[in-house]
Amino acid sequence: MTNQVIYDRGYRKYDGPKSGPKGARRAVYNDGVRRVLGLGRKARMKIFPWSLITIAVIAAAVFIGIHWAIGNIDESLRQGIPTYGGLFDFYSAISLLFIVLAGPLLLIPDRNSGALSVYFSRPLTVDGYLGSKVGAFATVVGAIYIVPQLLLHLGLGLISDDGFLRYMGDNIDVLWKVPVTTAAFVGLHGAIVFILSTAIGRTGIAAAVFFGITTAGSGIAAGVSTLSFPGADWVSLLAVDQHPRIIRDFLFEDTVEYPAEAAGFEVWASVVFILVLVAIAAWFVRSRYRKLA
Amino acid sequence: MGPEHIVKVEGLTHDYGEVVALRNLNLTIPPGVTGLVGANGAGKTTMLRILLGLLHPTGGRSLVMGNDPELDPLVVRAQMGYMPEGQCLPKDQTAADFVSYAAQLAGLPKREARRRSSETLFLVGLEEERFRFLGDFSTGMQQRVKLAQAIVHDPDLLLLDEPASGLDPAGRTQMLQLIRRLGEFDINVIVSSHVLTDIEETCSWVVMLDAGDLLRSGPLQNFEKHGTVHVEVLEHGERLAQRLTNRGLGVTLEGVRLVVGPGDETLEQAIIEESVAADTGIVRLTRGSESLEDLFLAPQEVTE
Repeated sequence: MTNQVIYDRGYRKYDGPKSGPKGARRAVYNDGVRRVLGLGRKARMKIFPWSLITIAVIAAAVFIGIHWAIGNIDESLRQGIPTYGGLFDFYSAISLLFIVLAGPLLLIPDRNSGALSVYFSRPLTVDGYLGSKVGAFATVVGAIYIVPQLLLHLGLGLISDDGFLRYMGDNIDVLWKVPVTTAAFVGLHGAIVFILSTAIGRTGIAAAVFFGITTAGSGIAAGVSTLSFPGADWVSLLAVDQHPRIIRDFLFEDTVEYPAEAAGFEVWASVVFILVLVAIAAWFVRSRYRKLA
Repeated sequence: MGPEHIVKVEGLTHDYGEVVALRNLNLTIPPGVTGLVGANGAGKTTMLRILLGLLHPTGGRSLVMGNDPELDPLVVRAQMGYMPEGQCLPKDQTAADFVSYAAQLAGLPKREARRRSSETLFLVGLEEERFRFLGDFSTGMQQRVKLAQAIVHDPDLLLLDEPASGLDPAGRTQMLQLIRRLGEFDINVIVSSHVLTDIEETCSWVVMLDAGDLLRSGPLQNFEKHGTVHVEVLEHGERLAQRLTNRGLGVTLEGVRLVVGPGDETLEQAIIEESVAADTGIVRLTRGSESLEDLFLAPQEVTE
């Protein structure tokens, strides 16, 4: 018989490095990305985000395939197939679904679970916390736009008759136009969903209101702006979902005339609208969280 | 050599409009395990939140480990661990992930955070359950996770707000044992509780608050010194009682049993002297310490 002893490991002191507020912000950012993607969560939390990511990537591959197949038949027919600018409509639909998931999930559970009392007992400020959440949101939602566009860009380069490098050189402007357009979409939708996720305590309700504002709300504002009454032109600006599309059209190619354009507003009105909305969101969310901390 | 005191409070006042939560507190807390005791609404949580720098006092100041939490909140928080009273666990994370996340929030590298998460959950008795989701945990297990997240980053000072709240008797006993062990590991702890026996079982220093006022602050032994002494004699109990009364001591006599005091550590010597003079034999002489509850219900002047 052997003498078996169970050792109590006790408590080990830690005298290694601590990265302070920077490490705390990085931890919140990493946790935000993992939460949105369902990593470290139950399987059902992974289904929705990874389904959308799969659809986005497959769609990029399908578009490349269509370009390649049509180009083999008749190169001139490729002009009618949507590329970078046109794909934003498709990806904005996917990203809307993703934002509905990501925005409320990033903010509401932390408040409802009471975990903020733990987080803010660490070397973490309200601004650090919110900045990291915004970073996680922008990373994941931005990737939904940019990664498929990047795949498309590389794919179109590979199937180009002019050769890969020539295609890259001729379309170098895509490398800044896509991120700027993405920033417009992420900025507008992010501002709305962060305001809603701060004001509303239920993820389902916040998601529903977000959908209402971006779809029905925009439609109603567009309809009202066509009526003839003083200030009707200004109402056209409240069709929020048009603004990143107006910027997209300005950078790529015109598709349709949006209510604000019909009312005589230039693209800069959309830029200002998005910036003002982002500023309002930052002020509102920050002031609410300063009371919670 | 460690610091003389871990917390120093001078004229600390905080109010929520017309409600005064803390009123002109002056006290120091030495290293070790300290009990912050008082009824609900006494100002315990307010004081803890001020020490964390989460709440700004409306008057006075505090120093935690030599730093002012109002001026350097992040420096103070980097040195502290905090276990809130209420719910604070995300249900959709495993215990290991959450405690590891809590360690990373304190600035620990990811790999070290995961290792310490496992070790800390082992320490609080949750090694087997560490990969279960927190939403599936019982109240007792959740309290242990809350404690684990508070100590995972090796804080210099740990603030525990009602750590045994909501636990059944067995769970309460285990939690108090854990807190006692933290003291053995040289972690400075401030335990807030409205259950006085919890404080008696775990702490070496006691701070008593009542409706925002400081009732007493001092080492637990000082509180016990003022307890009564239980005496059992062979005969002549009434004679001994008379002599002790003549000496100005309070005496309650029941046959051959007397309860003498309260009094300090000289009380036992006085009883022995008088029993010799009264020609009575002592069968048993034990100090029955006055409970914190007795002291709390009969407040005295502020002591340090």
